[in-house]
Amino acid sequence: MPDLLNIARPFGDLDRPVDVETEREVTRWLHLEARLLDAERYQEWIDTMIAPDIRYWMPDMDTRRRDDPRGTFRHGESAYFDDSWHELSVRVRRYNEPSAWADNPATRHAHLISNIEVHATDDDGVYAVFSAFTNVRNRNEADQDIVHGRREDVLRRSDGRLKLVRRRIFIVQNILLSKNLNTFF
Amino acid sequence: MRPVYPRASSYPDFARLVDRDKAQVDRRVFVDKAIYQAELQQIFARAWLFLAHESQIPNPGDFLRTSMGEDDVIVVRQRDKTVKAFLNSCPHRGNRVCMVDAGTRARGFICNYHGWSFGIDGALRGTDGKVYETDETFEKAQIGLTPVAQIDSYKGLIFATFDPQAPSLEDFFGPFTWYLDIMLDNDEGGTEFVGGAIRSIIDCNWKFPAENFVGDILHAFWTHQSGAQAILGGAVDLGKRYDELAFQASVYGHGIESNLDKVGNTRTLGYPELVDYVFDLSEKARDRLGDIRARAIGAISSCTVFPNFSFLPGQNTFRVWHPRGPGKIELVAWTLVNKNAPEHIKELYRKGTMMTFSPGGVFEMDDGENWEYATRVNEGFVTRHQPLHYALGLGTEDAASEMPGHVHRGSLNDANQRLFYTRWAEFMKYDNWTDLQNGETAPPVRRAQAAE
Amino acid sequence: MMIELCDSGAIRDGEITRVTAPGFPAVAIARHNGALYVFPDRCPHADESLAEGWIEDGRVVCGVHFAEFELGSGEVHNRPVGCPNLSFFRCEDRDGKVFATLAVEA
Repeated sequence: MPDLLNIARPFGDLDRPVDVETEREVTRWLHLEARLLDAERYQEWIDTMIAPDIRYWMPDMDTRRRDDPRGTFRHGESAYFDDSWHELSVRVRRYNEPSAWADNPATRHAHLISNIEVHATDDDGVYAVFSAFTNVRNRNEADQDIVHGRREDVLRRSDGRLKLVRRRIFIVQNILLSKNLNTFF
Repeated sequence: MRPVYPRASSYPDFARLVDRDKAQVDRRVFVDKAIYQAELQQIFARAWLFLAHESQIPNPGDFLRTSMGEDDVIVVRQRDKTVKAFLNSCPHRGNRVCMVDAGTRARGFICNYHGWSFGIDGALRGTDGKVYETDETFEKAQIGLTPVAQIDSYKGLIFATFDPQAPSLEDFFGPFTWYLDIMLDNDEGGTEFVGGAIRSIIDCNWKFPAENFVGDILHAFWTHQSGAQAILGGAVDLGKRYDELAFQASVYGHGIESNLDKVGNTRTLGYPELVDYVFDLSEKARDRLGDIRARAIGAISSCTVFPNFSFLPGQNTFRVWHPRGPGKIELVAWTLVNKNAPEHIKELYRKGTMMTFSPGGVFEMDDGENWEYATRVNEGFVTRHQPLHYALGLGTEDAASEMPGHVHRGSLNDANQRLFYTRWAEFMKYDNWTDLQNGETAPPVRRAQAAE
Repeated sequence: MMIELCDSGAIRDGEITRVTAPGFPAVAIARHNGALYVFPDRCPHADESLAEGWIEDGRVVCGVHFAEFELGSGEVHNRPVGCPNLSFFRCEDRDGKVFATLAVEA
């Protein structure tokens, strides 16, 4: 379990697919999350879906030679997100301001989630979840930003609700082909 | 095959687009393609441009790829510990020889096209073997990657120029180094960059972010109200002694504005431990830097080194606005820390710049769209014939100041931006460094000497 | 038959020196941790001079395409496509002179 929550550690190959019912539950959770984010219901998202001990990480992706020991990213170096609950809540507070100009007029969002794989872990009620996403943001007349990527989530059930405890986000871009990231992934 | 360093020309018509008397700038400088090409020739092929921090490439063979203007450049540490920089382009068919952002202990660079191989010194070491070697007319020794004309470093920051005639890096800065030392020399042991870099694309002209950092604290109160509210729970406070202490200063178009409030910028990173660290640092740095500069280490302030290298004291984001056409930039941003800072302080700076001045940061978030539309609206033919207003603080020159350069009272001021565009006009107008180093933007003392 | 190549004092530790003996192709002589190594000054990959390369971590590094050969065994690492191992000549230090058998050993 501690290993699973280590933000610097990849899932590797998981081979304990959950039963269909759990898979449906987790899938529904992911779809609900995407819908909240589409609607910019960030406060509700952090209050109801995010665990207080969340680790939320999205490193920048370097272009490196295959034999480079550092690899494409490294925890502890620069990142777009490397958040605990405190950092996420600061970001949400900004969205709540009417003068958050990058979102006023409103941005039109679509968070598409696919390639979902749900695996059991050594702990009951803790799931390791792979997914892929397409994030589309469009604003004003024709300003459009598209980000594709993959996620490695750990969801934990407490008091009957699933919450996100860990999320690793890997986008496919090297240079971010956008001026900002006014959303969550 | 000798390196070809393009010669400068003179574009007096473009220089006139900056009107010093009316304090106006013609908007065509932000969208016109011919003006942009002239910028690549007059500014980016001549000025000293930021390449890297020494700490990014500590060992022989360590390298990174960056840009000088739109030119792709490799920066690599040599076996004798010096640093060289070359155009990232094979002299055979022009392909890039280095495809990656960075790496360590490189032996050299081999072109993927025909296997031409270059040492870390840029010299051609060989080809794909057995073909050129049998061609008796082939002279390997004459071929290599095109080196920059000059390379030098200042307190950890490596710069280069494509102009063999350019003055030394020290002369290019002039007395502006007095201000650079606020960040680069406030603690023994020097500075380093945190690992990695954040790169992003903004569809704006490169001069908008450069002028923003050279002296536009004004925008912070409106643009960044939401970010300040999120982190501070209220507006940025300029402090009680603003009238007495805040200033703008400019030398050769490089500019800094500061409020001397000690920790205003650092406070916006949102971590009280960093504020404590900077308070202590500021006290300690008094002997090293004197009172004024010690107060500036974490103060509400911003800085641009002409043309396109900017940083924020106190928030420690360092960045280059690489031009990618008149309406597009690639922004590369790093975090600078003192080498001797405790590890947890370095870690908080890494997080602090991420939370504020990175694409998902609560301040940078709201900058991009302003610069994009300030650029894009000028596609309108009539619109771009309306000049822009740069006349805040016309009567604020502080000629009695003992600080170097052109000093103006009050950081809420367009003074540095006027001098930034005046420097831009000097680069457009002059084809030689004698004129470039003795024009209106030269430090006042030097101008007085030149007039005699 | 062993051929005299040069004064062994001329071969400094950690360096590769190019030497020619009349009637033979150029050879490279290296010293690493005191031991002498003699090998053809021709990379088995693309015929480039190995004397223009360098020694690193007990390996000869070809300066052109960066093939690495272990001193002694000649085993190739970081192998460019088609690059075989490096062969060494038998050599010895005899009264301050480097001698080697300049015939490719099987």
